[in-house]
Amino acid sequence: MRVLTLAYILALGGGLGLASAHYAVAGRPLIGKVALGAWDVWPGSGSRDIDPYMRAHLARGVFLPLGTGEGLELVATRDSTGVALTGRCSYRVTGQTPPARGWTLEVTDAAGAGFAGQRAGFSDAEILRREDGGFDLAAAPSVQAGNWLPLPRDRSFQLRMRLYDTPLSSQVGETLAETLPRIERASCP
Amino acid sequence: MSAIATARRVSIGERVRAGLAHFAMATLAGLILAGIVHIVAVLAVPHLARGDALNRFQSLGGSGRAEPIPDGALLQDDDPAAVTAVCSYDLGSGPVRVSARIGTLPLGLTLHRKGGGVIYAITDRAAIRGVVEFVVMTEEQRDERAATDQDGDRSVRELRVVSDAEQGLLVVRALAKTPSERTDAEALARAVTCGAAD
Repeated sequence: MRVLTLAYILALGGGLGLASAHYAVAGRPLIGKVALGAWDVWPGSGSRDIDPYMRAHLARGVFLPLGTGEGLELVATRDSTGVALTGRCSYRVTGQTPPARGWTLEVTDAAGAGFAGQRAGFSDAEILRREDGGFDLAAAPSVQAGNWLPLPRDRSFQLRMRLYDTPLSSQVGETLAETLPRIERASCP
Repeated sequence: MSAIATARRVSIGERVRAGLAHFAMATLAGLILAGIVHIVAVLAVPHLARGDALNRFQSLGGSGRAEPIPDGALLQDDDPAAVTAVCSYDLGSGPVRVSARIGTLPLGLTLHRKGGGVIYAITDRAAIRGVVEFVVMTEEQRDERAATDQDGDRSVRELRVVSDAEQGLLVVRALAKTPSERTDAEALARAVTCGAAD
């Protein structure tokens, strides 16, 4: 009876402990995440006092995160209404970008890799702007006029925006979501 | 007869109750153990990792110049518009001087310490007369240098970055906003030196 109890405790402790640790660091950890509208930011990932979960997550792959002061990476997995992004629909990405030396907007899969054979994204030098300095970008699986970002047909995707040399990286907590581009679903057949 | 039956019923009820209490205690112990295992596992991962960026790029930059990461290296979450070059350093053999001549493209230099964490980041905006330069050293090496500073009357003008880990990676990122700027970005990243400081 005593051996059975001990085996039960060890199995429960070891199994649950390892499984929960794996789950916590398999993707980007929930701890340390800041949500700004449709975008998620991990401001601690490029700092000296990085939290243990992000540290473990980064050690499990080949990562070299942007340093705080070097730039900031924003990841969008959902549109502005909270529905997951998918290549079945088309989207409009509109608005202003925060002050930065430069930025890039990229479409990737869930692991952060680009889709082969397609335009990967736009940089601030490539995009066509409106008169007020903002931009309108059409992300769709089929050809669109203007700034067209091709989406992988019928697959889920993420948008990644990287701001280089931006004052935002040290003040993520005080940033308003309105200062970032909105992601609106345009049509969904 | 009925008294014996009642006594037996009570004893069965007690045994079931005792068993449940035993099970609950064992489950509680298991959950506490799970918490400890969880914390230990999360803290141990960076020390046990063998395939992370630090280990994978350890051979790059031995010549004293930053080297672009090889195409097949599969750096995750990497900006395809940026050229990334790295230079691995070991402060065990003395401080390391990092020097970058800036160009027109955005350039960022970061120090990634072994075990995780970016200990220093600087961009080309901080350049003085077109050059970004700093010396990476441990706390002891900084004290040594400070002591020799006071001995002589030579004026020391260097930016000193103290690292609490002896090993790490210098990461150079140059952003090519258009494909035609890529060659320039590569040249900019390759031109960064990371040799031993005098």
